[in-house]
Amino acid sequence: MKKNDMIETVKGFFNIELRVNGEKKELAVKNGEFLLDALRRHGWKGTKKGCDTGDCGSCTVLLNGKPVLGCLVPAVTAHGGELTTIEGLGSVRDPHPLQEAFVEAGAVQCGFCIPGMILSSKHLLDSNKNPTEAEIRKALDGNLCRCTGYVKQVEAVKDAAKRLRTKGK
Amino acid sequence: MKNIKYYAFPSNVKDAVALLLDKKYKAMALAGGTLVAKTLPDSVETYLDLKNLPIKGIKLAGGNLVIGAGATFDEIDRDKLCRSWAGGVISAAASKCSTQLVRNMATIGGNIARPHSFNIFPVVLLGLDAKVRLQARGGTKLIDFSALYSSGLGLRPGLDCLITEIVIPARTKKWKCEFIKLARTQSSWESYITLFFAAEKKGKALSRARVSVGALSPKPFLAPAAEKAMLAGDASASKAFASDLDAARAGEYRSTAASNLLARFIKSL
Repeated sequence: MKKNDMIETVKGFFNIELRVNGEKKELAVKNGEFLLDALRRHGWKGTKKGCDTGDCGSCTVLLNGKPVLGCLVPAVTAHGGELTTIEGLGSVRDPHPLQEAFVEAGAVQCGFCIPGMILSSKHLLDSNKNPTEAEIRKALDGNLCRCTGYVKQVEAVKDAAKRLRTKGK
Repeated sequence: MKNIKYYAFPSNVKDAVALLLDKKYKAMALAGGTLVAKTLPDSVETYLDLKNLPIKGIKLAGGNLVIGAGATFDEIDRDKLCRSWAGGVISAAASKCSTQLVRNMATIGGNIARPHSFNIFPVVLLGLDAKVRLQARGGTKLIDFSALYSSGLGLRPGLDCLITEIVIPARTKKWKCEFIKLARTQSSWESYITLFFAAEKKGKALSRARVSVGALSPKPFLAPAAEKAMLAGDASASKAFASDLDAARAGEYRSTAASNLLARFIKSL
């Protein structure tokens, strides 16, 4: 096995290299730490800790473009990867069309599940510009919301798809 | 995971198996990680990440459908070959596993590596007469899926060998199949029972019948009485199935529901 194919712990930490929201980062992650906890400890607190058992989806992040459960991914496995958290999508001044659509549709109540929902939706819209309601519901079936009945969120994704098509993104 | 000293990302299968077999590392392979990432035994000191191994594709080889062990449920759900094989039953089964977020991570190899009642693919692969290719000390082995969990195999996938691909035989391509998962909700990880039915017709009669059952025990099992009755054109095949299920102590609800579902499948042929 090549030397680069293995990382060894140093005083209880692994040093990993990855890109987070487009920027190259070197992070020290604890032995046994999951991606969700590592991200929050390093300041990306938009990624939420809900069930911590892979059931609720509030810890969703995009790892190499795919939505995954941050609470089930050992942090070290992101080594060499490309990570997108909700902070990488837009800002208060310049929100992503998905973020605009969620706010305008009234899809946000307590907001805890929204970062995960938006990242799952982004992955869907990246590969499918005009999803059906069934496709939206399937893409979001791992993101639980305890405030709403999901109707507004499905509407928001449809609206965001329309906005993105109009913008030609 | 607190005792992990090394994380390894091998890029070829031979290196991965060599590391598994090297006692110095006390290694265990993790594929998608959705089942075992949180329950890694304390004795494990090396986490063997399979993500860089070339075991992901889905292809046709010699007329057989070959699914790389690293293919995720989502990839299998979306794959054109899987969708066209045996009426799309393989993709349909993949789509019924838990949630999209889990399907993005979980792999078919990880799903079959250990016997577990609620795993989706064992019941399907048993019914489709699949074979499994293992990379072990001394090379590769192609074994029947039904032998994967037998103690006679002498190998434990992920600990002293790796599953590299699953081979679905060409003869199953045109089988009429159905996969059913009875669970509390569509995305429930647990299920009350999982069923796989398959049939092949020659003229008006059935030339092949398969009934396999999951979720009642860690290993899925075939239902010989039901298969025999189906092949004999016996109208009471669903009653025969109830006797298979009673032998497995399925309980009245599961037994009744599963027998009715088989009757519905037979009616659809």
